[in-house]
Amino acid sequence: MSDVPREVVLVRRGTYHDSVTLMRVSQALSGLPGVTSAMVAMATELNVSILRELGFSIPESDPGDLLIAVRASDTETAVEEADRQLTASRRSDPAPEHQPPLTTRSAAREPAGLVLVSTPGEHAFAEALDAVEAGLPVMIFSDGVPVWQERLLKERAEARDVLVMGPDCGTAVIGGVGLGFANVLRPGPVGVVAASGTGAQQVTSLLDRAGTGVSHVLGVGGRDLSVEVGGLSALRALRMLDEDPATELIVLVSKPPAPEVARAVEESLGRLRTPVVRALLQEGAPDLTEATEQALRALGRPVPEWPSWPSWPGGRPPAKTIKGVYAGGTLGAEAAMITGTGDVVDYGDDAYTRGRAHPMIDPSLRVEALSHTQDTDVVLMDVVLGHGADPDPAASLAHAVARAPATVVVALIGTEGDPQDLHRQAAAFREAGAAVFTSNAEAARHARSLL
Amino acid sequence: MTLLSAPARVVTVGAGLLDDALTAQAVPTVPVAWRPPLPGTAEALAKVLADPRRPAANELAAGRLTSARPQLVGVRRASEVLAEGTFLHAGPPITWERASGPMRGALIGAMLLEGLAGDEHEAARTLAAGGVTLRPCHEHAAVGPMAGVVSPSMWVFEVRDAEHGGTAYCSLNEGLGKVLRYGAYGPEVLERLRWMDEVLGPALAAALERTGPIDLRTLIAQALQMGDELHNRNRAATSLLLRELAPAVVEAAPGVAAQVLRFINGNDHFFLNAGMAAAKVSTDAARDVPGSSLVVAMARNGTDFGVQVSGLGGRWFTGPAGVPDGLYLGAYGPEDANPDIGDSTITETSGLGGFAMAASPAIVRFVGGEVADAVRATRSMYEITLAEHPAYQIPGLGFRGTPVGIDLTLVARTGLLPVVNTGIAGRVAGTGQVGAGLVEPPAEAFTHALLALARSVSESFE
Amino acid sequence: MTVGTHARRTRVHVTGAASAAVRPVLESSRRPARVLAAFPGGIYLEVRTELEPSVIALITGEAIRLPNSVLLAGPLPRVTVGDDASVGDRSIELGPLSLTVRRWWDPAPPLGPVDLTSLAYAAARLIDPPEPGLTGNAAVGMLAGGCAEGRLLRTVTAAEQLMGLGPGLTPSGDDVLAGLLVTLRRLGAAAGVERAVWLAGWLGATVTFDARSRTTPLSATLLHCAAAGAASPEVTGVLRGLAGTQPLEPALRRLHRLGHTSGSDLAQGVAIGVHAILSLGESRGRPHE
Repeated sequence: MSDVPREVVLVRRGTYHDSVTLMRVSQALSGLPGVTSAMVAMATELNVSILRELGFSIPESDPGDLLIAVRASDTETAVEEADRQLTASRRSDPAPEHQPPLTTRSAAREPAGLVLVSTPGEHAFAEALDAVEAGLPVMIFSDGVPVWQERLLKERAEARDVLVMGPDCGTAVIGGVGLGFANVLRPGPVGVVAASGTGAQQVTSLLDRAGTGVSHVLGVGGRDLSVEVGGLSALRALRMLDEDPATELIVLVSKPPAPEVARAVEESLGRLRTPVVRALLQEGAPDLTEATEQALRALGRPVPEWPSWPSWPGGRPPAKTIKGVYAGGTLGAEAAMITGTGDVVDYGDDAYTRGRAHPMIDPSLRVEALSHTQDTDVVLMDVVLGHGADPDPAASLAHAVARAPATVVVALIGTEGDPQDLHRQAAAFREAGAAVFTSNAEAARHARSLL
Repeated sequence: MTLLSAPARVVTVGAGLLDDALTAQAVPTVPVAWRPPLPGTAEALAKVLADPRRPAANELAAGRLTSARPQLVGVRRASEVLAEGTFLHAGPPITWERASGPMRGALIGAMLLEGLAGDEHEAARTLAAGGVTLRPCHEHAAVGPMAGVVSPSMWVFEVRDAEHGGTAYCSLNEGLGKVLRYGAYGPEVLERLRWMDEVLGPALAAALERTGPIDLRTLIAQALQMGDELHNRNRAATSLLLRELAPAVVEAAPGVAAQVLRFINGNDHFFLNAGMAAAKVSTDAARDVPGSSLVVAMARNGTDFGVQVSGLGGRWFTGPAGVPDGLYLGAYGPEDANPDIGDSTITETSGLGGFAMAASPAIVRFVGGEVADAVRATRSMYEITLAEHPAYQIPGLGFRGTPVGIDLTLVARTGLLPVVNTGIAGRVAGTGQVGAGLVEPPAEAFTHALLALARSVSESFE
Repeated sequence: MTVGTHARRTRVHVTGAASAAVRPVLESSRRPARVLAAFPGGIYLEVRTELEPSVIALITGEAIRLPNSVLLAGPLPRVTVGDDASVGDRSIELGPLSLTVRRWWDPAPPLGPVDLTSLAYAAARLIDPPEPGLTGNAAVGMLAGGCAEGRLLRTVTAAEQLMGLGPGLTPSGDDVLAGLLVTLRRLGAAAGVERAVWLAGWLGATVTFDARSRTTPLSATLLHCAAAGAASPEVTGVLRGLAGTQPLEPALRRLHRLGHTSGSDLAQGVAIGVHAILSLGESRGRPHE
């Protein structure tokens, strides 16, 4: 019988693809007719153990090898498709004079203005150090970089007079150029220093909605304001924005810094000529939306109503609990603070992203979480648009929202210029029965009001 | 402080998705074809890269390597520079028990030449019993091609570094065919060696006294522009050297001048040994810089492939020598080949040989490929080297300097191993050369060295 | 770039980086447009609209980045002059091409404060541009004199004579005026010389009033941009050089290389503007103090 699933595991020695590419190929294979399970991944310890759990037996391989594991009625076609997609993901550039550089050090022989590092975290240090040694600013998107390496990179960067953004820096915008998960923003007078990527995305998206543009968003990484790192990048970023002719006002977005670091930051803020609005995400302090409104008022600009789309009343029983299903850590923390609930899961946390892509790219964990909700739950979730994010989050999530037993409230973070089309996304979630807010804080308050 | 402005070009390394997002914004990018480092090196890499001494140490080491000015100053009998009862050999240290066929053959030949044994069996017995001390050439400021065996009555080139003052030696080249360095020890081999001892050596020594020092840095630079890569092709360099020497040979040794010059002229690889001594004296200038990850020697003894690193003194780090991949002479095939052997990898260590393949289109077919492969090979070596040689340039690459100064950390990061051109020795002692081609060094030699360097970094900061 | 299937024909979706100056036209409802000129590095589209800029330049990386341009991430389509296009509803449709914006760049970035002493020092290093298109023209002299004295009538009279003067898509007279307008507005503001900004306002109003009937459509659009302070990065570079935030000489050399005489003409306008700012700043003091 031809439709009895067969199993094949192939090892491609020394073939490397990044995890996002491989996740996409795996998903595409899993969607083929007749495929029961499929995973294309580098043979890291973690991936091998996942494959074993899926019941595959793995031949001897090392982390530099690529594994193609397929269980399907027609494994040959599936493997062919994997190869086709993997070849398509490589740039075709065969001439010897166009041999690609293999390290950042080698790439920096050509003139460049910035280095963007998104390798697995344990390998990011070498590339970032190359950038610093070449005198180039660097954004480290990777997470899981040991803190001693972060400290060392930032100390060396001080000596070379360059900015290190990150590690774990999800968002930056420099002169309009969006790096990592950033939104399409109009140019303008507000500079942002952010130890939180999604926090910065919320603030800048709302500013853009209010017709106020952004000069630069300088991410510093979630650990920059810890005692170990001492805020080296935040302090440098603040000085840079203070020197920047385009920046009239600075917004500092962060979780509350360590007390020792907070003092240094406050001292530094006192020396700036540019006014600073703080969005520090703590009890009693303004939330991200309020901080944005403060910034607008400081610039003498009107504060608009933040767009929202209420949901149609459904026939659900009275809501009892709020469940936060977040992709952005800071947005989740803000939601927890406003709703007063402890049940907010940050699916962007390292614990969930090991061996898989960020939930802003890979919706599967949140789709599953939605299916496990009760009809007495209020699900509060963020959908973040912009460069690098899922090209159509509604395509997978709106369907899950519609099927979820719970009442769903969506914080839709993005601008009208974003590639995903803010209005189309809002309409799709609304049609799926969710209430949609462009302010996360308002979404959280709405969720609380439903209890 | 640099003012903030939109980056005109962004280097991206990692997820292709983030590179795509920049391209969509019409921002030019330079994507790095990144891949994970050699297995088991991640932690050591971070430690070595973090060493605050490294950037300056490597700059110093690479600077010394590329600024060396090797000059051929003399030819001497090895007995003048070698302790009695000692034979030198190629590669990292080796015992008779572990020695391969050609290495054993060459040692037997040296025993017979020196009159230390009546026949090959007695020679083998004496060698097995440790009757002669075997030491690597590299530990005596010397290098030797293939088996690299140097015994007291052999003659050596003496090359001095006019910049840093070092001295290095390399034996005289015997020619092709059945020769000692490929492990042959028949009567014609020994006869030639005796002629070299009695005629060639003294004549060259006298000629060099007349010429004074010959500038090898300039000679090598010229040969590169004439199509040599200075490892598997030495035709131009040999001709240039012959031109320098000929009048002095005629004046210094008129009676034997014709046979001496005919011998040199009949051997396209005569310059190889002088070039190796030049490479050795240059790489030695880069030794012993604390914290430097620069490779100062790569050498094979027919069993092991070994490397030495500037920041790690005289320690050897080894892996099994591979069998070269290439073209075979006559009816010989891969099954006749001995694992990789010889100190001639010192040419690659100093930015020549496989690293300068793009300069030598004439031999690319011989080492299996098209001209584009040669260009690709040289270009890829820029990925693992610290510098571009200021004097050794490649016309076909717009006179770009050859890639020079192999960095252990770059080898581990890229997984790219040095490209080595080599001759292939027969497996059975006495066979001689069976072919020529390319050989891939064992990754573990570099991995072991990196782990040791990481340990030395921790030690110096604890 | 992705290829998708439209109702009737295959559309090629490309993205790019647009000057914030073209945002109003792109965000308004869709209008018809036509190809005004096509070069290997750029295509100029004239949009049927009352908004300005009404001419939009679609360019590749090599072309001059005019303040009304959209830099494409992919290659330009093959079109001929007169081809139909449409602009608005956040996209540009041209032949098979459907273009959306993924990045906005500022054609008039603020310069930061500059004091008159250092501006005078920088102005002394303004070398004469090579062969401007209107060497020795009396109206240019009148314009310079009028600006330096802050006399509006004389300035406007000179401007009237210069508009549309000279050959090509951007006549030399317009380029001089554009360089002048941008300098008075942006450097005047940076130096705190309000009289210069005031002069830019009135001069801008004059030249934009009937620009569409006085010069080529492209040049008219560029005058509208200049009146608002928007310029190519090459002009901004020179202004930054004068403001002391980047080296002046290399920026000047880059500007001089633009176009046939455009770069020199723009530089001439910049020089007139700087001298006017210095002269107005000295005679009136710093009004905001």
